[in-house]
Amino acid sequence: MTAGSVPADALSGRLGRAAVGAYSSVVLAFLLLPIAVVAPMSLSSQPFLEFPPPGWTLRWYYDLGEQPRWLIATVNSLCIAAPTMLLSVALGTLAALAVGRIGRRWARPLTLLMLAPMMLPHVIIAIGLYPTLVDLHLQDSYAAVVIGHTVIGVPLVFLTVSASFAAVPPSLELAARTLGADVWQAFRRVTFPMIRVGMASGALLAFATSFDELMLALFLTGPGTETLPRLIWDQLSFALTPTLAAVATLILALSVVLLGTATAIGAAGGRRTLRAR
Amino acid sequence: MRALGTASGLMFEGVAKRYGEITALQPTDLAVHQGEFFALLGPSGSGKTTLLGIVAGFIAPSAGRVLVNGADITHLSPERRNVGMVFQNYSLFPFMTVAANVAFPLEMRREPKARIAERVRAMLDMVRLGHLADRLPGELSGGQQQRVALARAAVYNPTVLLMDEPLGALDKNLRQDMQEEIRQFHRTIGATIIYVTHDQEEAAFMADRVAILNHGRIVQFGTQAELYSRPRNAFVARFLGEANLLHIETCDGDDAAERWLARTREGIALSLPGGARAACAAPRIACIRPADISVSTPDADCPGAHRGTVTETVPMADTVRHRIRLNERCQIVARMTTKHQRVRFEPGDAVQVRWEPGDVLFLPE
Repeated sequence: MTAGSVPADALSGRLGRAAVGAYSSVVLAFLLLPIAVVAPMSLSSQPFLEFPPPGWTLRWYYDLGEQPRWLIATVNSLCIAAPTMLLSVALGTLAALAVGRIGRRWARPLTLLMLAPMMLPHVIIAIGLYPTLVDLHLQDSYAAVVIGHTVIGVPLVFLTVSASFAAVPPSLELAARTLGADVWQAFRRVTFPMIRVGMASGALLAFATSFDELMLALFLTGPGTETLPRLIWDQLSFALTPTLAAVATLILALSVVLLGTATAIGAAGGRRTLRAR
Repeated sequence: MRALGTASGLMFEGVAKRYGEITALQPTDLAVHQGEFFALLGPSGSGKTTLLGIVAGFIAPSAGRVLVNGADITHLSPERRNVGMVFQNYSLFPFMTVAANVAFPLEMRREPKARIAERVRAMLDMVRLGHLADRLPGELSGGQQQRVALARAAVYNPTVLLMDEPLGALDKNLRQDMQEEIRQFHRTIGATIIYVTHDQEEAAFMADRVAILNHGRIVQFGTQAELYSRPRNAFVARFLGEANLLHIETCDGDDAAERWLARTREGIALSLPGGARAACAAPRIACIRPADISVSTPDADCPGAHRGTVTETVPMADTVRHRIRLNERCQIVARMTTKHQRVRFEPGDAVQVRWEPGDVLFLPE
């Protein structure tokens, strides 16, 4: 390379970076703007969904408070998301530990099977589960939708725990065993501290997924167990009021908090592992 | 012969391991004395790590018993064996400090806090790491981490200390320092040590006795000197120090004159010592150690000498290693101490080599 070509290269480098930056901004805007539109619409003074809003008011949020149906649906959603999270963490962690130690030959096919519910359309899971749960007389019960949501929650926990478990060499557990720890102590004192970050982020993902999920809720909830996404769906067929935008905004806020927490936990875990290396 | 129940030390009785069709360990009998430093030496896949795993309790043997001081531990789970293990990759708990790592086995044994603190301090002082007690393992060098692993595996006075290629990940200089350190450590704590390695010099330097494994079987065991001077077969001879191996094909001569001459596949004529007729009975291998071969300038009047050309000269610390071509099928290696070496030969030099017939070992394949 000659000295004269350096400025030209630097220029094209700057231009290239600017182009990549612009392109990335457009993609991000495309992804995020539909979400950003919801919050202003929830403050619209018009009694139907309109963007941009002609005026501003908080009345749709007051409206929400006055309709107990929204509160009940929120409580239902929480009552479903919490046990879903616990079940998903328990089952997903156990599966990740087993697949992580089963040996190369079985690890791949088993991983694919474990992740299948995540990639299959939820409607297929719903159609498969619905008649079975009816047979078990579980329709309209919390159990029905908790089971459904656990099916899609387990792969998420499996994925995050597998990732952190991959960094735990098998010899650490063997070392703990020779040093006098039984199976449970070896897990609690050695393995668990190294995978708890994965377990926590998996738990948050499972919780958030259950809280937002509509397809399975449509099939598996009834009048008594109606979740927030399902209520929004039902209301949509009546009227497109800014109340819906207000609910969506609140869900969005909760999701952002969960996502932020998951990211923070992951980052803290990353720093710790780095220090431990 | 069945071992006595009261024997001290570590005893294997017909211990074997099969994985379906594959035999990882042939039925093995072995007695390791209390307080002995015993090395298992062999190429990878020879069964040495399987043997270690059976003592540690990671691998259930398909047959046989393992006894420690007379007690059958074959079916005990690992945590109830009171065995210590040092792994090649150290296997320290990365999120615990050095002190917490060493305290771990004592906590598992529910020792009182004050005693744990005292033992951990004493042990870390012994491996000269007292000043690093509050560091995390990731902040230590490889040698320091291995010393922590030693301290952790020995702090609870295990009856047997197992070491699985503990120095495999260290560079050569550090490895030699650590060899010395581990020997010292063994003298101080007096535990029985089973040391797995594929480095014969390491085994020779550290161990009281060595067992050579190949294809899941102990080929021979004994002191280093025994194995070197009386190898049972060509594998042992080759594995323990360098060896020139010649394949005997035919023998001529007569018993009356006590003069025998063997011809080898490599085209070398070997004169055999008196009474070596047996060496010709079956296809056998003649083994000549490089140190037993003397190299000199060609001399017309020297019976029993072989003429050749030097192809390679490697000066080592206190020896010179010559590779010499005797014919197109045969190259041999000679090693001479520099002290007695008057002439150093260079590649291309014509030389003659000779050895005492009594220094030739006759071995099966």
